[in-house]
Amino acid sequence: MKNTFTALALAAILVGCDTPATYKDADGRQLVVSLDKVDIQDFATAGSTMLQSMVTSPAFNRAGANPVLQVGQITNDTGTNFDTSMLLVKITSPLVNAGRVRLLESDPVAMAARNNTPGASVPVADFVLKGKILEDRAKSGSTKQSSFVFQLTLVEVKTSLAVWQQEKIVTKQGTMNSIGF
Amino acid sequence: MKTNLSLLALVFALSSCTTVIETGNKIEKTFSPPDAVNYVTTKPDGGFTPQINDQRFGDKIQMLAVRKSKLASGCMQVQFDLRNGSYLGQTVNVSFEWLGADGSITERQGNWMTTPLEPGALTTITAVALKPESTECRLRVLASR
Repeated sequence: MKNTFTALALAAILVGCDTPATYKDADGRQLVVSLDKVDIQDFATAGSTMLQSMVTSPAFNRAGANPVLQVGQITNDTGTNFDTSMLLVKITSPLVNAGRVRLLESDPVAMAARNNTPGASVPVADFVLKGKILEDRAKSGSTKQSSFVFQLTLVEVKTSLAVWQQEKIVTKQGTMNSIGF
Repeated sequence: MKTNLSLLALVFALSSCTTVIETGNKIEKTFSPPDAVNYVTTKPDGGFTPQINDQRFGDKIQMLAVRKSKLASGCMQVQFDLRNGSYLGQTVNVSFEWLGADGSITERQGNWMTTPLEPGALTTITAVALKPESTECRLRVLASR
């Protein structure tokens, strides 16, 4: 009988330790910080830092009111699988919505529709945005460190020259994943 | 022998001083209320208005200068110079909003950007508007726990 009570008490304690799932602000400070993967806030940080850098670059400012931008290849060279649009949209969406660039779509449906539209003309891209995401891991005792390197290059189409380049490194260190900062 | 022991104790106390201060800092953070967001808003006359809601953090991080300029694209750029005036490393998290001439929010960069600051270190936060109608910038500053 005593053993049963002890087991029940233990079970109650264990159940009480669980945290029920709740909604969090994706821009807030209570997000999970993972050591082994790129978190959603890492994409946001890298994207906004790179966007700020790109819009202040002389080449981008010389390009006129709303240049045509095409997204090139963004390579995920990390050990985890994710869609690179997690980073790209952080850069292209504010630019498109503010009318700072016109984004050239290469969607097959859009291209097919265009081919069937008599007299349709496609603007030529002024810039192509390409990049790479890399990772570096290190360990000292039980402390793990992971760095995710975001590299982007803006290529001017008419000259094929890289007119802007930026690298943003997000480094996380600890013994286990945590919540918030 | 007694002198040697006292010397050893002193050396030990001095060498672990940083850890003691850092532990004290961690305890203070743990037991203090949740960190409030602080704001610095630029003004049309070139100055800025600070709104410090977390005094404990406000005592450590100083806003030295704010510079406002217009880019060739016609959009505003604001640079905020922050300094860690404390004896411990601090982590500053910033995000910002852009306001129009009528005070309404025109753009928002909501995610927190983390900047670790060594004691005495300076950092410059640059905010660039994407829309010409964005005239003033409101920087949001938050301490790390």
